[in-house]
Amino acid sequence: MLLDALRREAPAEPGPETRLADIPPAPAPARQPAQAASRGIAVTARDLRKSFDGHAVIEGLDLFLPAGGFTAVVGRSGCGKSTLLRLILGLEAPTGGRILLEGPESGPRRSDPPKRIMFQEPRLLPWARVVDNVTVGLSGHGSRAERRERALAALAEVGLSDKAGQWPATLSGGQRQRVALARALVGRPGLLALDEPLGALDALTRIGMQDLIERIWLAQGFTALLVTHDVSEAVALADRILVVEAGRIALDLRVDVPRPRRRGDPDLARLEGRILDHLLGAEPNL
Amino acid sequence: MMRPTPLGRLRDTALPWLLPVVILLGWQAAVSAGLVSNRFMPAPLDVVRAGWEAGRTGELWTNLWVSTLRALSGFAVGGGIGFALGLANGLSRLSERLTDTSVQMVRNVPHLSLIPLVILWFGIGEEAKLFLVALGVFFPIYANTLHGIRSVDPALVEMGRVYGMSRTELFTRVVLPGALPSIFVGLRYALGIMWLTLIVAETISASSGLGYMAMQAREFMLVDVVVLAILIYAALGKLADALTRQLERACLAWNPAYRSA
Repeated sequence: MLLDALRREAPAEPGPETRLADIPPAPAPARQPAQAASRGIAVTARDLRKSFDGHAVIEGLDLFLPAGGFTAVVGRSGCGKSTLLRLILGLEAPTGGRILLEGPESGPRRSDPPKRIMFQEPRLLPWARVVDNVTVGLSGHGSRAERRERALAALAEVGLSDKAGQWPATLSGGQRQRVALARALVGRPGLLALDEPLGALDALTRIGMQDLIERIWLAQGFTALLVTHDVSEAVALADRILVVEAGRIALDLRVDVPRPRRRGDPDLARLEGRILDHLLGAEPNL
Repeated sequence: MMRPTPLGRLRDTALPWLLPVVILLGWQAAVSAGLVSNRFMPAPLDVVRAGWEAGRTGELWTNLWVSTLRALSGFAVGGGIGFALGLANGLSRLSERLTDTSVQMVRNVPHLSLIPLVILWFGIGEEAKLFLVALGVFFPIYANTLHGIRSVDPALVEMGRVYGMSRTELFTRVVLPGALPSIFVGLRYALGIMWLTLIVAETISASSGLGYMAMQAREFMLVDVVVLAILIYAALGKLADALTRQLERACLAWNPAYRSA
């Protein structure tokens, strides 16, 4: 039954991804002094619609995410931000409109870098050792030894080299989420979607993870899309923040604060206040 | 936690055996003192002697071998079919719609009630025993395999899909390992049913095997052999259970609930 469901949903992916010539070229990601040459995927959504059982969740949304940018999507729960992310990843088929993903300079049919997602829960395979969980991110690539080597390198990147042979059950919540990050990064993604990946972590672990994600993003230059309801997390990490309300983009803000950003920076605090005011003011019932 | 001392470890190993040993000693004492007639209940030493005798003539080994072979072949056939059908119905809705209702109906028939029918069909040959054991083993394996596959975390399946696993990979890396704990539960139930079915079948209609040996002994009032047969059943059941435990520990080492202390 499970596999039946897979078979049904699988074809949803390649459909909306066809290349169109009329999409404007991606502007270079601004204000990233130390960023590596971008190998990110640019995302364009045109008049995107999605409804579940006749109930519209996304209503005519237009969006352009430049390659290599770090965009955060914030909004109240139920505003459609997670659905937006799942549509971009191809986990759901849109009811209307289209989504275009464009790889970096993909000239003569180079295989595009993969899109990866980090979920709110780590979703590690409990029956696979940490290193084998990371090789899941390399499904169908290279020899066994090669995959293992790359997985160990990715684990080193998130600072978990010494846990490679352990079972996931023996790790702490933060460590598990770092393994999930290594799994997402090991395939060198062009687009990394983060669906509230730090929501279940304690405050200090969260800050550590935010720094880790920022550092890796700067080094690898993938396009990052972070969905969160934590506005301070959004302003700390993103160079652009989209506030989603009732299935549309209500606010599109640039975060012009240089990196590395200091926690408690007044500019960030002002921006956070503005977004929170907007979110709180947007609810007429309050 | 305190490190177990050698003495503590010995105590932990010995403790489960304390009760059986005390019962055996009490039993021997009761029979030796004449409190119990050994026409109804032989003393443990008589049973040991009967075992020695049966082992010396080779009768015991022949019967044990015949019974084990029957049990295992019935288990392989019934368990194999149950496992395959459980997988099919767990993975394909069509297959489930087609067969599950029928299987559930048949499941509610006590399989031992088919003995008269089976004797009519197969006589008292090997096929009758094989059929009954296979039928008895089929249901627990089927039901637990199906349940195991259904209860695999859909979040992990989605993860596997996003990470580009092929259908085969998804099955071998996510679905099957996820279903394994439940499949093992089915395996242990099935092993119990396997012995039970075989003994009943051999007791009622057979010309060899442990059940037959016990029935023959009853005809000649050899109570010690009857008790010997019963004790062998207990030992075989315990052996099967211990083997499954070892297998579980090896296969489910990732699960804290199964990790050996």
